[in-house]
Amino acid sequence: MDRALRRKIANQAFVVICTGAALVALAALALIMFSLLTKGVGGVDLMLFTADTPAPDSPGGLRNAIIGSILMCGVAMMIAVVIGVLAGTWLAEIGGNTPYGHVVRFLNDVLLSAPSILIGLFVYWWVVVPMGGFSGWAGAIALGILATPIVTRTTEDILNLQPNALREAGMALGASQWVTVRSIIWKAAGAGMLTGGLLGFARISGETAPLLFTALNNQFLSFDMSKPFASLPGAIYPFAMSPYETWNTLAWAGALLITLAVLGVNILGRWLARDKDHK
Amino acid sequence: MSDTDFQSVITPPPADQLVLETRNLNFYYGTHQSLFGVSMPVKRNGITALIGPSGCGKSTLLRTMNRIYDLYPGQRAEGEILVDGENILGPKVDVTSLRARVGMVFQKPTPFPMSIYDNVAFGVKLYHKKSKSQMDEVVEKALRRAALWDEVKDKLTKSGLSLSGGQQQRLCVARGIAVEPEILLLDEPASALDPISTAKLEDTLEELKRDLTIIIVTHNLQQAARLSDYTGFMYLGKMVEYGPTEELFVKPKVERTSDYIGGRFG
Amino acid sequence: MSLQSARHPDPVDPIFRGLAFAAATTLLLTLGGLIVALMIGGWPAISKFGFGFLTSSTWNPVTEVYGAAGPIVGTLITAVLSLAIALPIAVCVSVFLTQYCPKQIAQPVSTAIELLAGIPSIVYGMWGLFVFAPWFARTVQLPILTSLDPESFWGKLLAGVPNGANIFTASIVLAIMILPYMSAVFRELFRSIPPQVREAAFGLGCTSYEVVGSVLIPYVKKGMIGVVMLGFGRALGETMAVTFIIGNSHRFPDSLFASGSTLASTIANEFNEASGVHLASLIALGLVLFLITFTVLAIARALLSSQRY
Repeated sequence: MDRALRRKIANQAFVVICTGAALVALAALALIMFSLLTKGVGGVDLMLFTADTPAPDSPGGLRNAIIGSILMCGVAMMIAVVIGVLAGTWLAEIGGNTPYGHVVRFLNDVLLSAPSILIGLFVYWWVVVPMGGFSGWAGAIALGILATPIVTRTTEDILNLQPNALREAGMALGASQWVTVRSIIWKAAGAGMLTGGLLGFARISGETAPLLFTALNNQFLSFDMSKPFASLPGAIYPFAMSPYETWNTLAWAGALLITLAVLGVNILGRWLARDKDHK
Repeated sequence: MSDTDFQSVITPPPADQLVLETRNLNFYYGTHQSLFGVSMPVKRNGITALIGPSGCGKSTLLRTMNRIYDLYPGQRAEGEILVDGENILGPKVDVTSLRARVGMVFQKPTPFPMSIYDNVAFGVKLYHKKSKSQMDEVVEKALRRAALWDEVKDKLTKSGLSLSGGQQQRLCVARGIAVEPEILLLDEPASALDPISTAKLEDTLEELKRDLTIIIVTHNLQQAARLSDYTGFMYLGKMVEYGPTEELFVKPKVERTSDYIGGRFG
Repeated sequence: MSLQSARHPDPVDPIFRGLAFAAATTLLLTLGGLIVALMIGGWPAISKFGFGFLTSSTWNPVTEVYGAAGPIVGTLITAVLSLAIALPIAVCVSVFLTQYCPKQIAQPVSTAIELLAGIPSIVYGMWGLFVFAPWFARTVQLPILTSLDPESFWGKLLAGVPNGANIFTASIVLAIMILPYMSAVFRELFRSIPPQVREAAFGLGCTSYEVVGSVLIPYVKKGMIGVVMLGFGRALGETMAVTFIIGNSHRFPDSLFASGSTLASTIANEFNEASGVHLASLIALGLVLFLITFTVLAIARALLSSQRY
């Protein structure tokens, strides 16, 4: 009886601890979101979107940073989608089972979780130094390299889910591999691949570290990607670290914008993935 | 269809031999009712089989007998299930000790991720503190009763997952009986096994039934006929006919039973 | 007519296959290029300081002497500490969500946690800097500082400037950052266990504690270790969540509440002002970081791919 009682007490203690820990963790995360919301909302006004980053203690917005982020992420995603989709297709359809395929898959995993600041160093060395300065292109390449392994991975996973009968059916009609992949496999896997792209986009849109020494920053609105380029994370970082309250407020507003964008893109990606499951 | 389709003919074993009895048992998955007033008196020491087409509630009925359905909120049972005269559906019942008395073996083998020895010792350790040599005895006895000892005695420290499917299932039987339950529930234990493994498992059950009550759900009519002393035929959540296996198979009292056994539906 | 002539080989096919191969090879070249860049870029520092680069804790841009011991230790301490905090909590959260929480609540909460795992780390860093550090300094550090004998063991362990920017607070922020990720993956692992295994354990009369501790966790042990290593890798390489709050000092950390630095935070802070040996030393820090994270990730991948269940 003693033993049964001991077991019962241990079990109840475990349930209490688990529940308690879960509540603490959720509370901590909720607290962060609460801070972000309360501190960020104050800085969100029309000017945030219409004015550029200001000098200390003067009014301003984040227009240049927002546009800069969108442009760099756009270019980055073009790089990532082209390379990632092709590489993922190669892994799933062509060479994934060769020894070289296993190496590539492993290296993709390494890139997938490599610290992003190292990607910054890589681009600094191979792009910024040879080109003679910081530039929007360098930032876009750094972000593209971050997103590529994500797109590669999801593409391969999604293509592997497609039934082999689909490939055989295409080949049996006499279609070439290219036609089979393009007009049957990619089409069937479309929603899943889009989700992969969105996940990659969500990941890079908040990345700060790799931009610090590739795109640097730019106080003014610029569309010339061969010059130092503004970005939201690139503006938030110095603004948050600064002693000026107006800059701090802008940093919180920017952080809120990024978070909302990331959440929105993630939710969209999930929604697309779910829609596909229901079909 | 006439009313006789849903008549229920129960031929109970002698009252002094009962070990478990469900009385007017209803079961609900949320709002969906899946057992309707099931009454089933089970004889001590022997094999009782539950047959019927899939989805008729055989497994559901079995899963009420050790209250494993408790794991899923929304599932509930109404009525009475008496084990040795005590209603196990009552609120005061300690389900962990109930499950020590009423063991269960599942459709697919479920060895735990530990050695063969530890798989068998696992349940025993929950209830009793035993020395190493005592535990060795318990494990050997359980494995012998499950007719697995000769096959695994040289590799007791190997993972339970390294065994073949049939061996894994007998390991689960050994794990179940090591706790020395009064009743062992088996939910289609042979459905994932090949014929030879099935035959070995059946031999094991024949051995065990001398001092253990076995209730087995099966969709294999021959298996039920071969093994069991009593058989219950279920249909659409109701117990259509229950009685000694020979009577039920040779001269069923309900037309639907003879239809099913004769292969006319199901 | 032979079969060959009946087929019209698509001229695009070899091009497609070639491009796909080239794209796959780009990944290889990227990683190769990363290693080459780190090695060449860091070489001046490595050749000048030799093995002492790893063991010396002097980091002095004035005298041009650089040693990585401070940031290396800072990186390891923050990563280990954050993992020590996040791991038990993440296990609890995933157990709570899969075992105890009603389904109607578990689903939205799990989705929320997965979404939180995608929040940019700079948000966690800012929260650490503006909210957590001041609170910690006020409610934890100051009382400790005034009540503890500075010469006692605890006094020494918890000594530090009471501004909330130190190794301990950085570890907590890191822990909160990796928590959603680890909880989400643990939950996936638990959900991958066939329900019969759980039922079988309950069927023997296990309490839920025994089911989780003796059956479910051992069932996914390898996968969990893999996830822990991945979380460890993230904590090691995380830049922004740490840089805000670790205090950025290069001395060898001598207490839990001392300011410190990590490999990534040092690079982030100093890179743009650095040149010559300083720059090379920073890139060499990157090489060290790469080697550490690569080792951790390789182990994690090996464990995850050998998970059978």
